[in-house]
Amino acid sequence: MAVKNKVLRILKLFGISARMDLTWLLRDTKYAIAGITADIISNLSTVSGIYLIALRFNGIGGLNTDEILFMMAYSTITTGLFIMFGSGNNIHISRIIGRGQLEHLFMQPLSLKVQLFTSGFTPFTGGSNFVVGCIMLIIAMQRLSLPVTVWWVIFLIAYILATMTIIVARAYLVSSAAFYAPVAAEEISSAAIEGTWLLSTFPLSGMPSIIQVSLLTILPEGLMAWFPSLCLLGRAPLNFTEYYPLAFALILSLIASYVFRKGLNYYVKKGSNRYVPYGFRR
Amino acid sequence: MYPTDFAVKLTHVTKSFTQWQRDNTGQSLVRNLIKPEKRTIVALNDASFHVREGEFVAYAGPNGAGKSTTMKLLSGMLIPNSGDISVLGRSPQKERIALMQKLGILFGNRTELWWDHPVIQSFEWKKVVWDIPDPVYQQNLKMVTELLDIVPLLKTFARELSLGQRMRADLAMMLLHSPRIILLDEPTLGLDVVAKRQMIDFLKKINKENGVTIIVTSHDMDDLEEMAERILMISDGKIAFDGGFQELRNITGNLTRIVVAMEDSLVPQIGIGRLLSSENGVYEYDIDLTQLPIKALLGQLSEVEGVRDVEIKKAPIEQVIAGLYRDWSGK
Repeated sequence: MAVKNKVLRILKLFGISARMDLTWLLRDTKYAIAGITADIISNLSTVSGIYLIALRFNGIGGLNTDEILFMMAYSTITTGLFIMFGSGNNIHISRIIGRGQLEHLFMQPLSLKVQLFTSGFTPFTGGSNFVVGCIMLIIAMQRLSLPVTVWWVIFLIAYILATMTIIVARAYLVSSAAFYAPVAAEEISSAAIEGTWLLSTFPLSGMPSIIQVSLLTILPEGLMAWFPSLCLLGRAPLNFTEYYPLAFALILSLIASYVFRKGLNYYVKKGSNRYVPYGFRR
Repeated sequence: MYPTDFAVKLTHVTKSFTQWQRDNTGQSLVRNLIKPEKRTIVALNDASFHVREGEFVAYAGPNGAGKSTTMKLLSGMLIPNSGDISVLGRSPQKERIALMQKLGILFGNRTELWWDHPVIQSFEWKKVVWDIPDPVYQQNLKMVTELLDIVPLLKTFARELSLGQRMRADLAMMLLHSPRIILLDEPTLGLDVVAKRQMIDFLKKINKENGVTIIVTSHDMDDLEEMAERILMISDGKIAFDGGFQELRNITGNLTRIVVAMEDSLVPQIGIGRLLSSENGVYEYDIDLTQLPIKALLGQLSEVEGVRDVEIKKAPIEQVIAGLYRDWSGK
């Protein structure tokens, strides 16, 4: 019963975020459509660049054009989810911490986890990339004639969740610096994530193994699309286990959780003398 | 377990912060790379006080005295270095989520409204986030919109409200979940006379009629005296005074400043209070209205030759506190 109530509560919170997103879209429709279109164009131009190179050279590093399309679809879906759930700086949390705005969250009778999970949900203005990614995925799957089983779908969902977990965990890990240096680290999350975004859409097949290993461990851009896509195509690279992205996501999220809690503890002990009155709600 | 006989209880609470220090010399830059220089600021120093349910308490002190820190401690946003805090029998630091259902907080320089949405949308967001039952929400919405006169504002975007309108909308939103305690940090900051009047009347009404406990901070003594029955004064992290306004006046006197602007080169020939400054024909006096009633003061001023303008204002809170300390050291 308690679990059911919690789930219902979370659904209601998602519901109010979605409703506010819809009213915002319907109120400023021209601007909202312009924003959605810009999002789609921006993301498609990123992935289409790679796809055009694949077309010109008949594949990249052992991946054919349809496999590249599959990888780009995966990347577009995760980008879409990031935009759909990450409006309002709940993923780029260094902005909220650095601007001294966590106190707005402390005022709500909800745990920080629930607030951050539900507050940035914008399915109407932020869902376009996700939809485009799904369409691209269906086209790629048809062209590749992938044998889709229940297990394959479960793995697809698990890999997407793992990629999202890595994105969020990395954002929260670096954002923890904002607890100690609010001004200097206010934008650290966007710098860390968006600074390497282009690299995350690049197929690493054919690269020297030291680069591949580095991009799967130190800087996990290879886990954003390349590695999970190859696993879903049945060819886990570098003799790594196909469970590697899930294990990496778990370990990184544990580390991020520990570091973030430590920073939060510091924040409630020391407080923040800085306050910027914009950006925590739109 | 905490006792539940008080709405708010602070027991020997100390809270300190560190501030980074640096000047612009090269030596300081290098030294700070190795060992940053820090200064400890004690916001609360072994402070204790309690507030009973239904009280309207003013929490006063000069800028930087620790008023906002106390508010943040009471609402679980900060953890004290030492001491115990109890709000409605709960620890704000350990039971923040449960407490926020019964607590309303408003910082005068911040808004909880959604900037790019109409005011009513923010109210509906609050209904879901606070899980307010529909009948309670409807009843409170009716009450606050009528009392605060915000019906015409409900469809207006928060970003388009004036400061006074925004404060009224924020105050209304804060009350939608029927809080038992309200913490207001400088709610009258920047408001004009009319907006201030509306806010003060409203707060007094909900305190009297609904029994809501209110703790309000300000560095403006006049505002506080208008609103509250009891005043807690904080200075250097310590509670310097706890009592009624009359009691405070008995100790400090009714300290008032008179500013007299004179015609060219004339000097006011009056023997009121203590002359604090004289510059460009403007003379400032410090007087105690318990010693010299306002009627006698005006009588004296009306007889002075060459008075261009007269301004009478309350003494700054810093002076009242200094008076308190002088009085104590005299004992």
